[in-house]
Amino acid sequence: MTQLNRQSASPIKALALASAAAMVLVGCAAADEEQETVAPTASETQEPAAVGGNMVVGITVDPDTIFPWKATQFQAFRMLENVYDTLTAFDADLNVVPGLAESWEISADGTSITFDLRDGVTFADGSSFGSEDVKYSYEAIQDEENAAVARSTLGGVTSIETPDADTVVLNLATADVGLLANLTSVNLAIVSSDDTEESLSTATNGTGPFVLESRTAGQNVVLARNSSYWGNPTPLDTLEFRVLPDEAAIAAAMSAGNVQMAVFSDPITARTVSGGVTVNTTPQLSYHALMLNARNGSMTSTDVRLAISCAIDRQSVLDTALLGEGEVTGPITSPAFKSDPNARPCPERDLAKSAEYLAASGNAGGLEIDAIVAQDLYAGAVDIAQAVAAQLAEANITLNLEVLESGTYIDRWIAGDFETAIALNGGRPDPDGMYGRYFPSTGNLNQVSGYSSDSMDKLFADGKVEGDPAARKAIYDAVSKELEDNAVWVWLFSGYTYTATSDTITGFTPMTTGSWQYLRTTGLQ
Amino acid sequence: MRVLESAVVKKAAGSLATLVGVAIFVFFMLRAIPGDAISASLGTEAAGLTEVQRKSLEEYYGLDQSLASQFFSWVGNLFQGNLGFSVRAQQSVLDLTAAALPVTFQLAVFAIILALAIGVPVGMLAASRVGKPRDVIGQALSLIGLSVPAFLLATTLLTFLAVNLGFNPNGLGYKTFFEDPVVNLQQMLLPSLVLGFGISAPIIRTTRAAVLDVSGQDFVRTAKAKGVSTRRLQFKHILRNALIPIVTMTGLQFGYLLGGAVVVEQIFSLPGVGRQVLTGIQQKEYALVQSTVLVIAAAFVIVNLLTDLLYRAIDPRVRAE
Amino acid sequence: MQSVAPEKAKSPSVFARILRSWTGGTSLIVLAALLVLSILVNLGVVGFDPIAQTPADRLLAPNGTYWFGTDQFGRDIFSRVISGVGSSALISGVAVTIAALFGTLLGLVGGFYRGVIDVFGSGLTNVLFAFPPLLLALTLASVLDRNWFTVAVAIGIVYIPIFARVTRGPVLSLREIEFVKAAKSTGMASIGIMFKHVLPNIYSIAIIQIALSLSWAVLTEAALSFLGLGSPPPAPSLGSMIYEARTLVLIAPWTLWAPGAVIVVFVVCLNLLGDSLRDILDPRSKEVNS
Repeated sequence: MTQLNRQSASPIKALALASAAAMVLVGCAAADEEQETVAPTASETQEPAAVGGNMVVGITVDPDTIFPWKATQFQAFRMLENVYDTLTAFDADLNVVPGLAESWEISADGTSITFDLRDGVTFADGSSFGSEDVKYSYEAIQDEENAAVARSTLGGVTSIETPDADTVVLNLATADVGLLANLTSVNLAIVSSDDTEESLSTATNGTGPFVLESRTAGQNVVLARNSSYWGNPTPLDTLEFRVLPDEAAIAAAMSAGNVQMAVFSDPITARTVSGGVTVNTTPQLSYHALMLNARNGSMTSTDVRLAISCAIDRQSVLDTALLGEGEVTGPITSPAFKSDPNARPCPERDLAKSAEYLAASGNAGGLEIDAIVAQDLYAGAVDIAQAVAAQLAEANITLNLEVLESGTYIDRWIAGDFETAIALNGGRPDPDGMYGRYFPSTGNLNQVSGYSSDSMDKLFADGKVEGDPAARKAIYDAVSKELEDNAVWVWLFSGYTYTATSDTITGFTPMTTGSWQYLRTTGLQ
Repeated sequence: MRVLESAVVKKAAGSLATLVGVAIFVFFMLRAIPGDAISASLGTEAAGLTEVQRKSLEEYYGLDQSLASQFFSWVGNLFQGNLGFSVRAQQSVLDLTAAALPVTFQLAVFAIILALAIGVPVGMLAASRVGKPRDVIGQALSLIGLSVPAFLLATTLLTFLAVNLGFNPNGLGYKTFFEDPVVNLQQMLLPSLVLGFGISAPIIRTTRAAVLDVSGQDFVRTAKAKGVSTRRLQFKHILRNALIPIVTMTGLQFGYLLGGAVVVEQIFSLPGVGRQVLTGIQQKEYALVQSTVLVIAAAFVIVNLLTDLLYRAIDPRVRAE
Repeated sequence: MQSVAPEKAKSPSVFARILRSWTGGTSLIVLAALLVLSILVNLGVVGFDPIAQTPADRLLAPNGTYWFGTDQFGRDIFSRVISGVGSSALISGVAVTIAALFGTLLGLVGGFYRGVIDVFGSGLTNVLFAFPPLLLALTLASVLDRNWFTVAVAIGIVYIPIFARVTRGPVLSLREIEFVKAAKSTGMASIGIMFKHVLPNIYSIAIIQIALSLSWAVLTEAALSFLGLGSPPPAPSLGSMIYEARTLVLIAPWTLWAPGAVIVVFVVCLNLLGDSLRDILDPRSKEVNS
């Protein structure tokens, strides 16, 4: 677990540590467990959580839906993960572990997966869970009319069989090794076959550790312990997601002890929280990139793209725009498949080489390109754009920034209507889940990625069916290499999130996926 | 009285026309904002939608209708008391507004009370000795009230009180007066102080000017000459006659507060109508924004109408017309 | 109300009279100093580049090099605050110009011609008035692709009705006044009468309103930036500086007080200037204040 655990007793001291955070991150990760035991913490974090209590998590906007198949918003997603279950799940290290399926067996050719479902599971309304619920849920997700966001995950599933109430068989068109990991998303939550989107839009009915107790628009969402949960009952009686629209207000509420946990987008806010609070810095799978649309304008030239790639010092952009709070990354951020961040035609910034590429592309005299930048979609976009533009300017490349309102930016991004785009894209634990939609020519985001090739199509097809982990890693290394060698995009870095937890809570582990699934083991002292 | 009635009817008709204008204006302006509810909720994920999925979502959000039919079904529903439905909250806009409007209303009333409590005495004191220290102080106070942005004052108060004194009732989650009167009053304290201080400025100025205006009039001079005591003169004669502009200004400010407390609602986490509109705009929730704005505008118009009536009731000249 | 000539003769002395009043003079000097300073900063003569980041110098307290300290990106707060005043003045100035031009025209034409134009103009004014100003600016700012000019347009539209309303009344009464009637009887074209005889007589009203609106416009612009709807970053803006500072204030108080103090001084001066202009130009208020 790459995670930095730090007591922040004094905000000023914490700030002094902040600049060192990025450098010591890797080194600290291994020593993390020792640190827990060696350094005495303000409260006894090792003590098992007492049962009972009401915990408050501060959020800036309320969850926009309580229907799991349509949830994309961070807050909705994080809340629903604690209400609904999926067939498979992740542990803290992103290994696939049993969820509602206790075990599974993959056929020799990989085209059929047989899940043995957990016994004695019931939905919150008391009805029992069985294979027909899985079939119902997955078929409904596959139905285009339902506009479920994870439909493409089940795109390769040709049929779903239910030999008995405890067994589900997914038949696939071709093997799909990443499927088990991709099934962990709450967008593929299993709901009761008696429920519909309509019934689940006003009340929840899941198999998870919590049930929805109340929801007040603009104010809060309250979850209560699901007493019939199949796993260990959650220590908390209730879990409230309280809306405090301003991060500073959340920090103030935490200092005053009204809120026990919150995620902050910038380290400074997190560290202004006073009192007994721990700030966990968690690297994210999502990544910042300068997307180059290889089908548009001068970006069609590989030399131009390489010239851009060679002219950018990723670490320096990170230092300026995000105060060094993050780590330089290659294309794949999935922990088990991580790309080597330095495996690039220019591992270091190389202006001479950039100039060579630029000359080779016939633009020796310089080049002017456009970039779209989102104004208020996520923090830091404009800062990153500026830092990138400043570096490209030294390579005789003028980057014209079009800073757009988020609605306009999204429209143009979706249409692939840009030469280059400063973007923050989501990552996934499985590389096929992460890029299988972008780079194969059949991917539903290929239009946006602006790049495809026969070799890329073949690599992704192979990666889907390769069962041997080492061989699969080699395939995605090759994907990574092709992406970097052709400077398909310029991958910059991944940021961190800052989870502030009051020292009165125990048993919570933040995850690189941003998940709050460990709220189910969280207790108050 | 007949004159008054016909004037009121005329005013009311004008107000109705204004509201129709507001409805048209807000409806089309909202749709001119780039993006829609789909891209607002899915973000760049919307790129992965198939044609059928997008159609189904458009239906879900009611975006598949033509503009004209969206407009007329909205207006038609309004007349039946149906303000529309918020897909996000899965609640009718009427319910949402019924919860949010009292919050803003309470805030506005408290702020106005505070503003009057500060503004009228200070304004009168200032007017009682023009050019003397108390006048200078009064004028300086109003100048500061006019010049300090509400968000600056609110931010400073929240940060210092919450962090240094641990006083942060607004972090407890909003409680209505009926749920928990003590917490509710604590939660209203800082925001109404911030707003009340800002509004006390125009009240000070109006009071001062009105008192000076009245003081210069003949009947006051006569009363003075007759030997009426200064205090009696101040309260009985001058203030009563100076009331008209103060009432007008108070009404105007109250009307503005109903929609103008956005920033303060945002900073102090109060779930009022201003914040409802702000998040609605961010989420492109057309039904929510257009109906809420209309409700705010209606409240504004009604407050103005009432101010006008009150003004007619107080002002002997208007009554005599 | 007098005719055209005396107004014109009076105008050169207005400036002198402002300077002569204690508050007006001081505020005018402070405002001028702020604006000159902001031009110098933007030209690079004084201070630092307001958007240049020096990560090594993050969150430094005020010192000899950085007079108001630095922010979380190591940007010089003094240069940002001063440059912020400049852009705030630019946006507010353009906004009020738009409002004054269109609002006065609306009030003038409506009041002078009455009829359908007036009904439409007054209707529009009422509709805009019924919108809470900040919500209107907020919606307008979301419609337009944001840059400093569109923010100015959004704020300008919000203040159009005020100008329309304050000018329409006087125009209505001027229309009945003898010299206008006389001009009409000589067969002068009505457009000519409107611009030659009526407009000059509402100048002073418009000028007072401009002065008062400037301070509101500055505050509206700051509130919009505070809500993230002002001119886009990294352009320095006082509102967004205060927004960013609210989380920094505990560890770096200067990030809040510098922009906070400057915006208050800026608005106080604009208000004082407006007041003294009104005292000079509006005979009624002078009576009350003297």
